[in-house]
Amino acid sequence: MPNIRYANMCHWKAIPYRQIPNFRDFYYEDKTNTAYYSDWDSILKYQAALGFEGIEIAPWDLADILPLFGSPEAFADFARERGVEVIGMFHGAHASHAADHFDEAVRAGREAVDTIVRFGGTHMNTCPTQNYFGTGPLSREEVQHCARVMNEIGRYATDHGVKIGLHNEFFCAINLPNHRELIELTDPALVHYCIDTAQISIMGEDLLTFYSDYHDRISTFHLKDTASARQPDSVRYAQDPEITDDGTRWFWEPGLGELDLPGLYRLLKEHGFQGWMSIEYDGSPDLLGSMALTRYHLDKVLRPIYD
Amino acid sequence: MDTAAIAISLDLINRHYQEPNRNRFESRYFWEELYPLVAAAGFAAIELPYEPVWQFGGRSGVPFNRYCVNAKYGDAAGYRRVLAESGIDRVRGVCFDPNLFMRNASLDFYFGAGGHFAGEALAHAADLGADYLAISPTPGYGRIAQYHPDLEAQRSAFTDRTVTWLTGLAERAEGLGVTLALRPDYWGLFGGERILQLADALPSSVRIDLDTAHLFVAGIDPAAFLDAHVGRIGCVHLTDTDFVDPGEVWKSPNPEFPRERATQVFRDPGTGSVDLAGITARLDALGYDGPITCSARQTRDPFRALLRIRHLLDQLPR
Repeated sequence: MPNIRYANMCHWKAIPYRQIPNFRDFYYEDKTNTAYYSDWDSILKYQAALGFEGIEIAPWDLADILPLFGSPEAFADFARERGVEVIGMFHGAHASHAADHFDEAVRAGREAVDTIVRFGGTHMNTCPTQNYFGTGPLSREEVQHCARVMNEIGRYATDHGVKIGLHNEFFCAINLPNHRELIELTDPALVHYCIDTAQISIMGEDLLTFYSDYHDRISTFHLKDTASARQPDSVRYAQDPEITDDGTRWFWEPGLGELDLPGLYRLLKEHGFQGWMSIEYDGSPDLLGSMALTRYHLDKVLRPIYD
Repeated sequence: MDTAAIAISLDLINRHYQEPNRNRFESRYFWEELYPLVAAAGFAAIELPYEPVWQFGGRSGVPFNRYCVNAKYGDAAGYRRVLAESGIDRVRGVCFDPNLFMRNASLDFYFGAGGHFAGEALAHAADLGADYLAISPTPGYGRIAQYHPDLEAQRSAFTDRTVTWLTGLAERAEGLGVTLALRPDYWGLFGGERILQLADALPSSVRIDLDTAHLFVAGIDPAAFLDAHVGRIGCVHLTDTDFVDPGEVWKSPNPEFPRERATQVFRDPGTGSVDLAGITARLDALGYDGPITCSARQTRDPFRALLRIRHLLDQLPR
């Protein structure tokens, strides 16, 4: 068993079919590649063929997946039959900084944990609150409140065999001034950390320093590259900065950006990291192409350093 | 048929389903490149879907709700100026469906949130100077049944709440000078001719959206429907299909994608089996002078669809 197993964070938009029984006829209707991106059977086969044994789903996938498969268990079985397991689900802990939102934030977190358990997953990577714009800057009390919510969700998750990993976006109300403060305020036994290599670098953390400082808290990764590290406040705190107006990409496939990912892998080896690593392709125009490019880079550049 | 006033719905851009290059549809630049191309294809009027989902999560590049328009253009007037500079003179209509809000077992949530955003869609339509708000009166049957397995037992109560909601919306629409038109979605509780029963229970200002493909899928001849109900038509959607529901597809969880046999239900206008030339001739003969909008929902190539529709309209007798 390798030290690192690879998954994909699900960035596929709605996939309307489980499996297309009349693939050739469907193709001939308009002779485009739509058929190749319309059923989970194909999507999961692409993953398995490229050596990604896990999939991390997103909560916004549920509205389509559940009616299509009937239950989380049915989707998990369908994926497992094709060599892919559901490793967890992303969660956005909306308004967890707000004192009057404690019960709602904890309830939503627990429900998400319950859903993950039904999928057979073990990770809930959790964005600690919403965008900075319209919310930040957070007071010290609000950061403390956010930590209380994370601890409470983390306690429930731990009791159910799920690890929650704080996952910071570069545009969140938890941001460079209070990023580490939040981590320090949470209970290490209950709340872990998912390093999104690009997001924290854009936010202003040095990737290698951050991993060295918090390696014992790291439960998993969202691995992706960026050519846009250390963005200024004016970008991170702007309204809706994730999708740029002009099509500029924040995120690139590993090796196509400027992060020292080989350096990260040397640190992973030094600290003996073991677990799942999700690759993220948000912003890619071609998820299948991104998956293949990533597999090549993993096999030729990163895995020779530490596997 | 005077085709100059016919609008094109921007639902031809696939926002929700996976395909290569789909991500560009979430950026502002894509839309601002699109508008002049719409005009170049001969359309000076558009229809805008109203989709609250783009309000959540910071994806305001898709100009399909008030929040996004305000985030990028300040207000509806600012957006209309950008459209005008691109050769699009008017927003003919807005369409809204409440499917997004059927997501749990709480009908209070559905009618509360869905009702709120339908009101937003209406106000936005008025701000844009649109003639109509075409509204799907219910989510899909299968979507409701997913969260309310006792739907048949609850159908009467659900209908009563729908009537109350739409009556209030209709009164607001009348005050704003916007026509509220009911879409006969083949997958809804009021698909096909059942839409007439719902319209009968609502204020007389509420009209029906003659959506040709939806009627065709439900097994209804759109031309015959038009002949019988022309006085109640508030807007027309020229849509095409090759598909007729063989039975229970309309009740399935995702009826736009028939599970047993994959097919593109909505074809680019002119490439399916609906006699759109015959429909437009009947509209002329009956003296219909309301809004007409073409829709290439589910197209696999929006730019080809634009030109296919223009080609179709160019073939119509003048």
